This record gives sequence, structure tokens and C-alpha cells, in this order.
Amino acid sequence: MININQGFAQGSSWVHQLDPRIKIITIFLLATVLAVGESIVMLLQALVFSSFLILSAKLDLKEVGKRLMVVNFFILGIWLFVPLTYPGEALFQVGPLSFSIPGVIYATKITLRSNAIMLGIIALLSTSTVSSLMQAMRYLYIPEKIVYLFFFVYRYVHVIWKEFNRLHDSMLMRGFKSETSLHSYRSYAYLIGMLIIRSYDRSRRVYEAMLCRGFRGEFHNLDELSFSSRDLKIFSGILFFISWIIIVEKGVFLV
Amino acid sequence: MHISEGVLSAPVLLTGAAATATGTAVALRQLDNEDIPQVAIVSAALFVGNLIHIPLGPTSVHLILNAMAGILLGWKAFPAFLVAFLLQSILFQFGGLTALGVNVAMVSIPAVVCHYLFKIVTKRDEEGIKRLGVAGFICGAVGIALAAIFLMLALSFTDGSLEEMGRAILVANIPLAIIEALLTSLCLVFLQKVKPEVFTEFQDGAQSLQRRGRL
Amino acid sequence: MIELKNISYQYQNGEQVLDDFNLTLEPGDKIGLVGPNGSGKTTLFKIIMGLLAPDEGEVIIFDQPREKEEDFIEVRERVGFMFQDSDDLLFCPTVEEDLAFGPLNLGKSKEEAKEIVQETLKLIGMEGFEKKVSYRLSGGQKRMIAFGAILAMQTEVLLLDEPFSGLDEDAIERMVGILNDTDRSYIIVSHNGELIERVTNKLYYMNE
Repeated sequence: MININQGFAQGSSWVHQLDPRIKIITIFLLATVLAVGESIVMLLQALVFSSFLILSAKLDLKEVGKRLMVVNFFILGIWLFVPLTYPGEALFQVGPLSFSIPGVIYATKITLRSNAIMLGIIALLSTSTVSSLMQAMRYLYIPEKIVYLFFFVYRYVHVIWKEFNRLHDSMLMRGFKSETSLHSYRSYAYLIGMLIIRSYDRSRRVYEAMLCRGFRGEFHNLDELSFSSRDLKIFSGILFFISWIIIVEKGVFLV
Repeated sequence: MHISEGVLSAPVLLTGAAATATGTAVALRQLDNEDIPQVAIVSAALFVGNLIHIPLGPTSVHLILNAMAGILLGWKAFPAFLVAFLLQSILFQFGGLTALGVNVAMVSIPAVVCHYLFKIVTKRDEEGIKRLGVAGFICGAVGIALAAIFLMLALSFTDGSLEEMGRAILVANIPLAIIEALLTSLCLVFLQKVKPEVFTEFQDGAQSLQRRGRL
Repeated sequence: MIELKNISYQYQNGEQVLDDFNLTLEPGDKIGLVGPNGSGKTTLFKIIMGLLAPDEGEVIIFDQPREKEEDFIEVRERVGFMFQDSDDLLFCPTVEEDLAFGPLNLGKSKEEAKEIVQETLKLIGMEGFEKKVSYRLSGGQKRMIAFGAILAMQTEVLLLDEPFSGLDEDAIERMVGILNDTDRSYIIVSHNGELIERVTNKLYYMNE
């Protein structure tokens, strides 16, 4: 049901080893350009680029495919509606329904955009451990409180997930059946309430344990990140590519 | 309730990002470093709550719990959802990056609305456990309904052709709104019976620890 | 070093857990606390650390009466408290950061902290664990790292709440060895009577 063990973060490809700051900046630039991009040629090139990163990272393609499926569920919805509702010349007609050409183009753009960005996120962010991303976030002037919130949430999701499973298992052991009934919903409400209380109690104990280890409201970090010359070369290559797709988007060569 | 990457137009994405940035900035000003474990661990509980499948006839739905988050955390629901969604995007690619602002604002603005709505309806009334249940029901329904309306607006402002889809999503969320209303109501009554302190202590943050301990 | 005089404490629900309790810890003392569940052992530790305030009685630590929150900042720097649940104590992504958290709070430099981490890992017999992710360790490993996190603070006194539970034979022997070798004073709570005999030189019995 949930896998927060970050399977993709294990690996030793150059994508995995790239400095997490470069990864964050790259995906941020790439996603921004793609999100506002309109040129199909540009979107296709970006999709190729993201796929190239995925292949370079040597990720399990089956698993990548599974994750894309989830994303494309929403996109499927777009395909169900947009070609029918977008005004324009009809591509073909089925009974009273007419599929418009601009609608199909519009839906294609959304599909390309969405998949290119998602593949980029998988290749660049999912291949980093959460702690290295956190470290990078600190360097990139993300507010400290957000970084620490992020880090505590990640740390305790796992603990609370186990707690949920223990509670849920004990409900099942006592004959609980999950169904559409008031009794079932009430049990879920209690389960969630209990989860909140236990998490709340735990947060107090964690805070107490931190106090006992001398915490006075200030966090210190241990490791520092440093660029290697390879990181710089790869980063220049990436910046070159992003400039290129901006040129393509602006249609300098097409007009 | 997520909008995928690549769907929304630039103005909509920017509006969402600005709303989330504002909400988060307000919340961070209220949040001391000492409060971080508390807000984070409760966010983690909501994160887990979001992954529970609640049966609905032949299918099942995922809870959002934004009314619950709003009632307990107030404005801090913004950073709570921001961090939870960012993590979901890294771990399982739900939601993405450029749409993050819109997705967070979509659930957090209703959460903050519910926070004040809850205060108005209950008026911190001591014996009113029934009233608490009613407040929970209203907030649960309003939380989801508002979020679904925002989602519909985000789609229709992007392009006229998405309006139809937005309306369909709005209708599809009616059962979820009812389930969330019911669960929020029952859950609040449960908390009131088992550990009423949670309602007040979340607002005061870590200082309450000192107050109860050493004073 | 620690003197508790006529301590009384009541839970919020009105249940009396400690009633006129006295305890003294001298340098070199290795005290075992034995008693049934709910006899207030953990509450006692929390009172020493200033996480709970007693309803009555005096808390004197390092020859100073301790009353206000500020009084306990020094106590927390000089007394290490190992929590029952290791997941409450270990909150950093990696073992190294968890072990360094206390030393860094106490004002050690990064280099010093890293050195302490290495020494501590060697002491608890878990060399090579520094880059491991804390939450993915087994229950016993987590407990050993939690123990290390307290040792790393190099405090004069240790308070250990059920330190042996969940450990395998090997780890128990290591912990017993460390406790017998240290010249720090400590108070230990455990349900395992045999182990408690091996690591203490004084026993306190607590009643309900």
C-alpha cells in the first residue's frame, strides 16, 4: 500500500551521484519551462531528455512505468473530456460526439508535459535520499523551518505507519470488516483519532528527548556539500540543454 | 485530490503558488523551532490518514482530512500540507512540483476556513459534545466542498474546455464530502472524550509543555 | 549528585504515583530501581530531568536546588536520559547525525562531534553504522544507538529506562560490559532482576 523506502535512491549511476543542489535546480528550471511551454517539438525533446536521465540512472523500468500509470490516470480524464469540449474543426465524429483537432492537440501537449516533468522528478529527485535533498535545501535558502518540518515528517511517517498497521491489525483480529456502514466509518474515525493522539503524545516525547540532549531551539548540521568538477561539467550541459529548449519554444528556428 | 503536472496554465499556477507562499509565511511566523516536532508529527499522522482506503459501496476513497488539519493546526495546515505533498511527490510522484502551490492552496485555504468556522460554531462551549459533533460535520463537508470548488475553478480558469471535467470532478466529490463530514464529526467527539487537551494545546505549541510540567 | 527529598507526584487524573519519595545518588553509585508497572519509575526520571514538576518535595542536583525551567538546562547537559522507546530519541536521518545531535548542542565543533561519533560507535561495537538510516535499523540496533546517543553526550550521570529490552544476548553483554567499565554514576530501571544485579551496587524497591 505504501512504500516510503525510496527504492530508486539506491544506485551508483552518475545521476545518483550528481550533487543534490544541481538536481533540485535542474528539475525546478525544467519543470517551469515545461509547465508554460506550448511547442510540441520542444516538449518532445524534453521528454527524450527526461527518458535519457531515467535510462542513465539505470532504474527499474517496470517500477517507473507503474508510477507513470498513476500519474496518467488524471491525464486519462483529460482525454475523456477535452477532445469533446474543445471548440474547433472536427477530426472525426461518433454519433453526436465530435472530436476536435485542436482538442486532441491540446490533450497531447498536456500528456507530453506531464510525463516529461514526472520522468524528470523520478530521475532527479527520487534518486536522491531525503536527507541529501534536505541538506541541499538548506544551501538553497529554503526557510529552515520548512526544511526541519520536512525532515521530521519524513522521519515519523514510517513510525506512524507502523502504529497504524498495529492498530488496524488488532481491529481485524477482532473481526472488523471494512464496509460501507456507520459502524465501519465510526471505527475508522476512532482509528484516525487514536493515531492523532498517539502521534501527539509521541511528538511530546520526541521533544522531551531533544531537550534532554541539550536542544535549545537551534539545529546544527554536520555535513557540508561540495561541488566536484564533474558536477560542474554536467550542470553546464544541463543549462545548455534548457537554454536550447527555450530557444525551440520561442520558435527562433521555426519561424 | 490532486491536479497533475502540466495541466494548468501559468497564471493559475502562479496564483496557487502565491497563495501557498502567503499562507505558509503567515504560519511560519507563528511557528517556533520548538513547535516543529509537534506540527510535523501530526502532519505525518495526517499523511498516513490520507493513505487509508475508506470503503464506499463497490469502490473506496482516500481521505483528505483537511478540515481536521485546519481545526487542530490552524494556519499551520499550510506548511503541513506543503511538506506532506512535497514528500508525496518525491516518494510516489503524486502531485508534482509546478502544481504544488495550487494543490496545497486547494486544501489548505479550506482548512483555515474550517479552523475559524469551528471556533464560531463551538464557541469553546464546555458541555457541548453534540455541538462539537455538528461542528465537525459542517467543517468536514465544507473542507472538501471548498477544495473541490477550487479545483474546478483552477481547471476552468486554465481553459474553457476543462470546465466540463471540473464540474464532473466536483460532483464526484460529493460522496467524499459526506464521508469526511461523518468521520471528522466522529473523530472530534472521540478526541474530546479521550484527550480534550489536544484542542487547546495545538494552538499554544510547545509552551504548553512547560506550563503543564514546570510551573 | 542527585538528591530527591520527600517527592510527591500525582497524575492529572488524580492518581498518586509518588508519595514522600527519597533518593540519593552519590559519585560511584550504580542504582537499580525495581518495582511493578505504574510505580512511578519513569515519572521519577522525568522529575530529575525537569520534564515534570513534583507536587511536593525538593530536587537537588549537583548541589543546587532545581525549581525553574532554566535550572534544568544545566542538568540536561550533565545528566543523560535514555528513553524507553528508541524512536522517541532517534529522530535524525542517519546514525551519525543522531549521535552528534547532543554533542553539537553542547557546543562541540563539527570535528569534535565526528570524533565522538567514531569513539561511541567503537564503544558500542557498531563501527561502520555512521551512514546508516536510523529508522531502518532493527529494534535492538536502534536501542544500542540510542544508548550511544546518550553516552556521546559524555555526561556525569546516566538515567536508563529499560535499556535491555529488545536486545539480543550479544548486545546485552556489550551493554553490561560498558556499564561495568564506566566510572559514571547511573540509575537504571529494568524488569530483568538478574541483569540489574549484574550492573548495580544498590537497589531501591518501589511500591505501588
